[in-house]
Amino acid sequence: MLGRGVKRKWSCLEELEAEELPNASLISPEEKKQDGEEDTGEQQSKSNMSHLQQRQLVLSLCLEKLQHYQAGMELSLRRSVLLINTLRQIQEEIRCDGSDVRLHSVNPDGCLLRDDFREDESVTCPGCAEGDRESPSLSPPLSPEMPFQEANISLDLQKSLPNTVSNTFSDAGNAMGYLSDLALDDIFEDIDTSMYETSDLPPAWGAGSLWPVSVSFWPDEDAKSRSSAGTLQSCLLDLNELDHIMEILVKS
Amino acid sequence: MNVREKKERQSGEPCMIWDATLESLAWKSRGWEQVCRYQDLEPADSSMEEENETRKINNSFLRDHNYATEADIISTVEFNSTGELLATGDKGGRVVVFQREQESKTQPHRRGEYNVYSTFQSHEPEFDYLKSLEIEEKINKIKWLPQQNAAYFLLSTNDKTVKLWKISERDKRPEGYNLKDEDGRFRDPSTITTLRVPVLQPMDLMVEATARRVFSNAHTYHINSISVNSDLQTFISTDDLRVNLWNLEITDRSFNIVDIKPANMEELTEVITSAEFHPQQCHTFAYTSSKGCIRLCDMRQAALCDRHCKYFEEPEDPSTRSFFSEIISSISDVKFSHNGRYLMTRDYLTVKVWDLQMENKPLETYQVHDYLRGKLCSLYENDCIFDKFECVWNGSDSVIMTGSYNNFFRMFDRNTKRDVTLEASRENSKPRAILKPRKVCVGGKRRKDEISVDSLDFSKKILHTTWHPHENIIAVAATNNLYIFQDKVN
Repeated sequence: MLGRGVKRKWSCLEELEAEELPNASLISPEEKKQDGEEDTGEQQSKSNMSHLQQRQLVLSLCLEKLQHYQAGMELSLRRSVLLINTLRQIQEEIRCDGSDVRLHSVNPDGCLLRDDFREDESVTCPGCAEGDRESPSLSPPLSPEMPFQEANISLDLQKSLPNTVSNTFSDAGNAMGYLSDLALDDIFEDIDTSMYETSDLPPAWGAGSLWPVSVSFWPDEDAKSRSSAGTLQSCLLDLNELDHIMEILVKS
Repeated sequence: MNVREKKERQSGEPCMIWDATLESLAWKSRGWEQVCRYQDLEPADSSMEEENETRKINNSFLRDHNYATEADIISTVEFNSTGELLATGDKGGRVVVFQREQESKTQPHRRGEYNVYSTFQSHEPEFDYLKSLEIEEKINKIKWLPQQNAAYFLLSTNDKTVKLWKISERDKRPEGYNLKDEDGRFRDPSTITTLRVPVLQPMDLMVEATARRVFSNAHTYHINSISVNSDLQTFISTDDLRVNLWNLEITDRSFNIVDIKPANMEELTEVITSAEFHPQQCHTFAYTSSKGCIRLCDMRQAALCDRHCKYFEEPEDPSTRSFFSEIISSISDVKFSHNGRYLMTRDYLTVKVWDLQMENKPLETYQVHDYLRGKLCSLYENDCIFDKFECVWNGSDSVIMTGSYNNFFRMFDRNTKRDVTLEASRENSKPRAILKPRKVCVGGKRRKDEISVDSLDFSKKILHTTWHPHENIIAVAATNNLYIFQDKVN
């Protein structure tokens, strides 16, 4: 069952990405159910995953649109506010998913970094390093290594980026200024730390007024319980998310 | 080819069947016919040719070129208060004003056609050196002032500056100067032996537009709407975070009456999307937000109208909640009804009519293109979900109209609850053509004339429409084309 389950989800992922590119495709949980999935036992987790897939897609799109600042495209204040609110909504949802598993209340102020559960670890994907070399406004990330098994993939847009931005655009006049003020680390502070606790990775955030956009792509909190199937699935999902994120960073 | 001939070929026969008792459009019988279509293009040359009549027509505007630039995209359309004039603004900062052809007994079918009356460059692109940002010259909104003398006045605005334009006709000029001869050259005073009084002689009609006021430097953010007060002395201009009140005579100061900018910009979650004055009550205005709520304010309560009098919001339906709920609830346009009892709002998928006395839910909700609900993710991806559609009432407040994709626009009859989808397209516009109702097929079998959701062209969107204040004449802007349709009795 494990192998079958993994295969289906992987191919669904590929299907999803293939669908996205050419034309307007429908990605709704109802649609996903019709995508040739016959195992009724998997229906529930499948619709969960498609919801999560959509969430991840929307998340990455959000980041992509917000990153258009680098290209010099001015985003209207209305659009950037709507994008940020969508990001917040997704983050809230991720947070809620996380709190269900942890059985303790999540501090909305984002003090999870100080929580015992959280290890001081962060991961910056190699994409960041590559992206940094290409873009002079990004300085290299702190973390030198990127184990694939890490649950958390965080995108660290360094302080120099918002500084460059705010030098060019004043706060009063521009959505970009608004975004550079916006401490997104508050939003994304409660990263779901992975089940793999490696202590040799330094903390990446908590550095004050950074503008890190840390995103947790941990799709299924239930996998934190020691289900090996979930672990493997999540790892494979993370792999794909990692590629996706790297793609975004390198492209930008 | 004579310009007039071309227009005759394009216009159709006047069509009958207007149900005057119901004041509603009878869909079964003949419906909307195309009066004329104008293509907004860069003129090949700016010279204006004379016609037989005392009217100048910009031929280059009517000529059917094959090229169109992005500057030609029409960004706003507006009838004036009598319907005699129709103004359009485009992305290149140009305003083109059309005037209705006068009724003529010899050519009765020509009534209802609009000819180019005046063209002028309203706004130029600017550069904000402080922020290193270009200020687009695109005309966001045009609002007419009611006519008080022989000249016409309109307000036009781009992202930052509002301008008051005066459009006036000149059909006489003084002749018989003493010191100048007819060519304008100065005469040698020693050769003048007699004095004469210059007299006004008729000349070819000339329409000139002059900027009478420039209202600038009052908006940090982008202006999305302007609205003239019923007192005809003041107007408001609205950007993402503020509403400013101006006096039409005073350009060096304005009053800020709404300010939703938070002290800490990090806390910003909502922006103002549009605002309008009440059509009769000069102290009342409404503004809408990106979260889908409407606030009605009374300027008599306080100088700063931060506290609303009425707050209109429909509670969210939890069953339809998605990641895009907030984005699609963002209101893109607000319009008071002519009678002042209702207001109408447009969000991404619906048009809602609100009773000013009922704040907790709309009176009526009309689905514009609900078949897009399942495509929201893709529309989010290609940014179409951020498109801002406008909506408009007819003169009697019985029919409302708004645009959609694929050059479709929709009309809803509030009394009969019937609706129709029409298309503004070149392919379908034949001489004497009556618009055929269109239908989008959602699933299953597609009938012959239907179009499937996946075949819709999302680059062809009708964002701007306007309705004649008294008659059933509408103007629809489809990218760089302006369509004028009418539905009238013989």
